[in-house]
Amino acid sequence: MTPIHLVRDVLDNQLIDATGKNAGKVDGIVLELRDGQPPRVTFIEVGPVTLARRLNRRLGGCVARIDARLGAGRGAPIRIPVSRIALDEPSIRVDLVVSSTPIMALEKWLREKIVRRIPWS
Amino acid sequence: MKRWLGVALGIVTSIGGFLEIGSIATAAQGGAEYRYQLAWVIVFSTVCIALLIEMAGRFAAVSKHTIADAMRERFGIHFFMVPLTLVFCISLLTLAAEIGGVAVAIELVTGIHYTVWALPVCLLAWILLWYGTFSIIENGVSLLGLITIAFVVAAVHLGPDWHELAGGIVPSLAAKQPAHYWFIAVSILGASVSPYLFYFYSSGAIEENWNETNLAPNRVTAAVGMGFGGFLSVAVLVVAALVYAPRGVKVEHYQQLPLLLSAPWGRAGFLIFSGSLFITCIGATAEIALALAYKIAQGFGWNWGEDLEPRDDARFSLTYTMILILSMLLVLVGIDPLKLTNLAMALTAAALPVAILPFLVLMNDAKYLDNHTNHWLGNLAILVISLLAGVVAIVSIPLEIIGGS
Repeated sequence: MTPIHLVRDVLDNQLIDATGKNAGKVDGIVLELRDGQPPRVTFIEVGPVTLARRLNRRLGGCVARIDARLGAGRGAPIRIPVSRIALDEPSIRVDLVVSSTPIMALEKWLREKIVRRIPWS
Repeated sequence: MKRWLGVALGIVTSIGGFLEIGSIATAAQGGAEYRYQLAWVIVFSTVCIALLIEMAGRFAAVSKHTIADAMRERFGIHFFMVPLTLVFCISLLTLAAEIGGVAVAIELVTGIHYTVWALPVCLLAWILLWYGTFSIIENGVSLLGLITIAFVVAAVHLGPDWHELAGGIVPSLAAKQPAHYWFIAVSILGASVSPYLFYFYSSGAIEENWNETNLAPNRVTAAVGMGFGGFLSVAVLVVAALVYAPRGVKVEHYQQLPLLLSAPWGRAGFLIFSGSLFITCIGATAEIALALAYKIAQGFGWNWGEDLEPRDDARFSLTYTMILILSMLLVLVGIDPLKLTNLAMALTAAALPVAILPFLVLMNDAKYLDNHTNHWLGNLAILVISLLAGVVAIVSIPLEIIGGS
């Protein structure tokens, strides 16, 4: 079994969804600490809230408040269980159609509110 | 056969897209004040950009990553934000200078002040990006840019002293005003070696699905295309030396620029100059806006692609829209386009180490390039040129601003 280096091979790498579309980067990795057992990777996190928190805690709070206005599932880190991802060099494949998840909420909002109102777009 | 036709097209578009407000203005200033003495800087810059473009193409073809994408992946978000912010701010100034260049070209012909044209120019660039395809921007605009060959014709027509020109290719120290000499030198370098160029080029390679069979054509395109492009810059320097220097003119105002071609050819030359400025600057405007949007979209993992419909990459399309608007505001506040150009080019040179060195690390990483990593000679050349440019720019910019010499 080839070892996976979480920071080198997973964190900040490109996510591709089941339809081949770009689905953001792996912005965070969540580990579960267990008594008497080694930690276990449970989720990856995607989205501006995780990213902003990594840069600065206060910026994270600020981004989370704005992000929450995008609707359900936003305003907090978006989590994907590790069971749904697979390494597929040079990217990471995620077994989901992201267009129906909160990951694409901003893209969808911009498309509906702005792009569609511009003729022939 | 088709591949080599592509190479020919690549070469032609590199030549047609080489000149823009930065390279025209800085080469004109260099020629006016130091005759052929700064020709060596153009030669150095051309070698440097040819090497970088070859690397950008090779990186995309082998690793299937764009540079921005890999930079985020390799160095993490904290480090990625540093070159991103720096390149973003400086490219915004360069973009404003290009928009200013198109607007000045229209002012030259119509007599109506350039600030009036900032909005229509941005709208035109936006329409090209929003409704056009990558090939229209890459090939269409650059093919029209072949009009800049007029500078070579003018240089030969005016008859330079070939012996003196050959002497200018050898690096030399300033005969007068050393601080100003080095400021112009780094501005010339910053005009040719713009980081946006290799972000644009590597994104183009991914848009066109390059693979390892593209490596040889990529090498030829970079060397020949950029080589001839540098030749055009030398031609501008030569024409400036023969037009401005004998008249004792220093290029301090953009209205002096058309003299480059109107001196040899009168009204026709004036129109060819204005046309050249218009076409090359509108091409550069579209390319810079696109390059910055590419960098942001790739760094954050969005859908991106000039050939996608805006509804399929809304964040990407609205990013270049916002970038155009921001730069337009810089033009609207009325900063002199020529001063803006000088500042943007010198700052580009100052930022080169930060923009280029992480890229150099990627180019030596076998995880991305397998057995196609850089040769040590290429590493050394880029390392030395970018560090020297950075240091000289950081020293000469304050001296130029306070007017020291």
